[in-house]
Amino acid sequence: MKPLSLITGNTRGFSIPSLIIGIVLLGALFCFPSFVQSPYALHMMILLFLSTIMGESWNIIGGYTGQYSVGHAAYYGAGAYGTLVLLQKWEIPPWYGMWAGMAVAVLLSLIIGSICFRLRGPYFVLASIAVAEIVRITVLNTPAVTNGAEGILLSDLPPFKIGGTVITDFVSKVPFYYISLLLAIFTIVVTWLLQNSKLGYYVQAIREDQDAAHSLGISLSLYKSIALAISAALTSLAGSFYAIYIKFIDPSTVLSLDLSVQIVLIAIIGGIGTIYGPLIGALVLVPLSEALRSNVIAQGLINCGVVREDSGVGIFLKEHLAHAHVLIYGILVVIVILFMPDGVLGFVKKKSRDWGLGTGKGLDR
Amino acid sequence: MAILEIKHVSKFFGGLAANADVSFTMTQGMIMGLIGPNGAGKTTLFNCITGYYPPSKGEVLFKGKLMNGLEPDMVCKLGMARTWQKVRPLAKMSVQDNVMVGALCRTGSLKKARELAMEQIMVVKLEHKADFPAGRLTIGERKKLEVARVLATRPELLLLDEVMGGLNPSESEEIIQLILDIKKQGITQMVIEHDMKAIMRISDRIVVLNSGEKLTEGSPQEVVNNPEVVKAYLGDFHA
Ligand SMILES: Nc1ncnc2c1ncn2[C@@H]1O[C@H](COP(=O)(O)OP(=O)(O)OP(=O)(O)O)[C@@H](O)[C@H]1O
Ligand SMILES: [Mg+2]
Repeated sequence: MKPLSLITGNTRGFSIPSLIIGIVLLGALFCFPSFVQSPYALHMMILLFLSTIMGESWNIIGGYTGQYSVGHAAYYGAGAYGTLVLLQKWEIPPWYGMWAGMAVAVLLSLIIGSICFRLRGPYFVLASIAVAEIVRITVLNTPAVTNGAEGILLSDLPPFKIGGTVITDFVSKVPFYYISLLLAIFTIVVTWLLQNSKLGYYVQAIREDQDAAHSLGISLSLYKSIALAISAALTSLAGSFYAIYIKFIDPSTVLSLDLSVQIVLIAIIGGIGTIYGPLIGALVLVPLSEALRSNVIAQGLINCGVVREDSGVGIFLKEHLAHAHVLIYGILVVIVILFMPDGVLGFVKKKSRDWGLGTGKGLDR
Repeated sequence: MAILEIKHVSKFFGGLAANADVSFTMTQGMIMGLIGPNGAGKTTLFNCITGYYPPSKGEVLFKGKLMNGLEPDMVCKLGMARTWQKVRPLAKMSVQDNVMVGALCRTGSLKKARELAMEQIMVVKLEHKADFPAGRLTIGERKKLEVARVLATRPELLLLDEVMGGLNPSESEEIIQLILDIKKQGITQMVIEHDMKAIMRISDRIVVLNSGEKLTEGSPQEVVNNPEVVKAYLGDFHA
């Protein structure tokens, strides 16, 4: 078996080379902050892990179960608000508050599931959007608890102590780096466990054909609900983390439709229904959105002489490309759907098969 | 002993009576043939029996228990399972994983399910395709997969909807042998099939549906010699 099987997700046992690569990669990630002190680099890595957590979480309900929720901001927001409201109003530390946020997210997922899972295909998608919008508007209109549109600014984050010893006071980005890394690993492990369980088989059967699954003894409502609850719980962790890392949340960032769409894109671009697809998606999307935000693309086009800086096009690009991420994402999705229907990971798998790399067996899973 | 009792079952789609007051009884271990021209309501009857639709009227009793209102997953768990006329492979999953999904109905262990699945895959002779994605099978192989997958749920009553449709004669012969083997295991079967020769060979009794109604019921000999049955089929062919 070739090393490629590590990323192509052959799950029937690990081969020695892929295991070694995995360990080396993990080791490098754990040592990263000792070698790279740049806050910017750490920030980028943290965003990468955060996107991975979001993508992996969505993948469980979207990729494995085939239920394309475009309302995951609701669970993200539940985690973010659960954590910060408790911290700001009652000074409950986030490592307790996040469980409350998770409980809210899971409860919400059960309610949303009971409404939306009656519907199939595009109707489910629309219902998931609608319910997430209801959550956003509710938060917007309960300022007594949530500060409404103003949002919540975290004034100070208490140090994390175990039995009186301060583990970290959160002044640098390093603790956030490790927390997000561990959470990302955790979501990948959960996905791996899912794929190798009865639940994993059942939800994939539901994705492939609901009526067939139903007739083979699978309760559709039960297994869809379990998958959504797991997905919601993991997504809320991402929201909780975001809240204490960025230290400011409001409905237009943590509860927006924009966010719901981004979560879906991470998984779709990487490759849905695979363990490492969302990780690949994050590797594509995080640098891309950063490049757009910091205007390096417009500047690059100008520097390469493709467009002149003082021309109309140059000025237009410099002014607007940074705000055009939705457009660029849209184009990216079209490209992926047209040329890589199984995402970047599926594309790599197919090419590797065509070029005779890796083993044929297991690649189709 | 009666394993399945169908009592005055009707199913309406708008004004169309796809099943109209159908009643019959199946005893343990038998093979019941269910025949009738296209659109007679055979598949609809399967759907009503297995909880896919609630019957508009009437009752379905399986092992004496009322099935009306039960979801298909419960019906399957209680021991009544069906195949689909329009096959429904779990396309991206391998043949073995497809059958494992069936086997997981009776066990929580993947290891056990994998073993059970392999047994059923050997029964339908698909072992050389075990790691193949189900979406890439031929029609004949897909039909066999349907049967293996449903057998893996350990049914007491098996409903087969045209598992020979679209197969060549040698494939059909394999399926006939398979059905007879399943009978030997003591599993009761109801078989929808258009091939009269095949249905005559395997059935203990035959129910004939026409325009949603039960036209007649009897031994294979009685049914072929019934002038009304001949008329229903000829009428169908000349339409
Ligand atoms: N979901 C549905 N909605 C509306 N009409 C339906 C539905 N399902 C079946 N019918 C109609 O009910 C009648 C019986 O269909 P059914 O599929 O049960 O026939 P069949 O005996 O299985 O035919 P075939 O031999 O072609 O498979 C047909 O007229 C069909 O068009
Ligand atoms: Mg039919």
